[in-house]
Amino acid sequence: MGQTLEAVAIDYQTENYRDAYSRINAIVIEGEAEAHSNYLQLAELLPESKEDLVKLAKMEDRHKKGFIACGKNLSVTPDMDFAEKFFAELHSNFQKAFATGDIVTCLLIQSLIIECFAIAAYNIYIPVADPFARKITEGVIKDEYMHLKFGEEWLQNNFADSKATLEQANRQNLPIVWKMLNQVETDAKVLNMEKEALVEDFMIQYGESLGNIGFNTRDIMRMSAMGLVAA
Amino acid sequence: MFGLIGHLTSLEHAQSVARELGYPEYADQGLEFWCSAPPQIVDRIKVTSATGQQIEGLYVESCFLPEMLAGSKIKTAIRKILNAMALAQKNDIDITALGGFSSIIFENFNLSQMSSVRNIQLEFNRFTTGNTHTAYIICRQIEEASRKFGIDLARATVTVCGATGDIGSAVCRWLDARTEIKELLLVARNQERLKELQSQLGRGTVMAIEDALPKSDIIVWVASMAKGMAIDVATLKRPCILIDGGYPKNMSTLVQDEGVHVIDGGIVEHSLDIDWKIMKIVNMTAPARQLFACFAEAMLLEFEGWHTNFSWGRNQISLENMEKIGEVSIKHGFRPLIG
Repeated sequence: MGQTLEAVAIDYQTENYRDAYSRINAIVIEGEAEAHSNYLQLAELLPESKEDLVKLAKMEDRHKKGFIACGKNLSVTPDMDFAEKFFAELHSNFQKAFATGDIVTCLLIQSLIIECFAIAAYNIYIPVADPFARKITEGVIKDEYMHLKFGEEWLQNNFADSKATLEQANRQNLPIVWKMLNQVETDAKVLNMEKEALVEDFMIQYGESLGNIGFNTRDIMRMSAMGLVAA
Repeated sequence: MFGLIGHLTSLEHAQSVARELGYPEYADQGLEFWCSAPPQIVDRIKVTSATGQQIEGLYVESCFLPEMLAGSKIKTAIRKILNAMALAQKNDIDITALGGFSSIIFENFNLSQMSSVRNIQLEFNRFTTGNTHTAYIICRQIEEASRKFGIDLARATVTVCGATGDIGSAVCRWLDARTEIKELLLVARNQERLKELQSQLGRGTVMAIEDALPKSDIIVWVASMAKGMAIDVATLKRPCILIDGGYPKNMSTLVQDEGVHVIDGGIVEHSLDIDWKIMKIVNMTAPARQLFACFAEAMLLEFEGWHTNFSWGRNQISLENMEKIGEVSIKHGFRPLIG
């Protein structure tokens, strides 16, 4: 009576797929580009970790190039206008925090939220990606775990002083992520990526990071679901 | 350390438990939310054996709900179980029982083919279905309940509903080899597998459920169904013992009639209180002491240091292993619930 889920054969060349890919690919490219500049800015705020952060920034730049190649491979022109608007609110919150020297909020946005979301999305994408993109993404994801670890370690070492700011920054920024996800739900579905799986994987990764930093289960459940239902 | 992967019986139940545990973010949400909810470690457990040995364990709530299967959300159900297993492994749990529907989902949808979960390679030898202990306990319940309610097994007709399943087939083999029951009636949906079982046993009568139940002195219900099944109580013999090995257990509320004795099947009672809060949540009558036998199997494997997938695959439960787990079950102070 055993049943197996049928493997879905995906045609990566259909108009529909390539159209959806033009936005998803653009988001990934823009995300990596912003990560690059965010880490450089974080290096200014954390001079003692400058070397590490510049290294992370370089990796993000390399990821960006990899994803540009993925788009080219499918002859897709990424819709960068869409991607810039997509990130605008999160970008603006990062810049505001940077302007006031708020390291904790900057780390929460870039090193926790964006990295956890990238990890979740890449993990869900890998099994349904075209062979070229799969190889690139598999390489990228290993680096992203490292980037997440940087933020986790810093916040863990400064947990007592950062806790209240983290909660506040989480309250402010996580609902934006859910809204962003809703905007690309249909496109992601065309790429065979289910929204509920993305949300679940994000919550697993984000929850684990919050736990590593020092939050307890109750905090984690509250913080990782923040704004999800309203979105 | 041992682990238990569990889930709640319905969306409504999940909501009320979330409220009770003080997770308001989860309490008022619909099924869609639960479909995205990550697994959580919600309880830390301490168990003391009758021998005095102490062990510790973790309870992993998978956030799976039976409504997911009923609504054909197969991918979601699979994700819940794999993610819960990954969480157990990440927490270095040596042996974890797949409770409730978890093991059924694992088997029916061939999860053994999906061992990669993100950056985790699942090690299946860290998990057990717990079915060997469940089958053993159900057999002991048959034996003890028949004595208690004055049914002579040598004259009894026993029906096993869900006879071809992992637990059902093991119960049939035990009844055949270790008891003197007069007649064995085999009920299941798949006729081909029923015939196969019948030929392996060399006995047993394949019968439709509505024909089998009125002939039975003892009915063992181990069919896995997302929804329960209505039984026409009026047609049952008096006395009749009904061992409800399904999940969730609802027969004792559905079947209330003189001479019909309903027993919660596959439930054990420990001789000492267990330090946990989770069994209260799954509505056990004596939550400090009563638990699913499949969960108890993980505890027994931990007590004995048998960190291996003792119960695994389908229809592989041997009488030898039932005896082996039975011996340590008694040694550590577990006994079948008779009610």
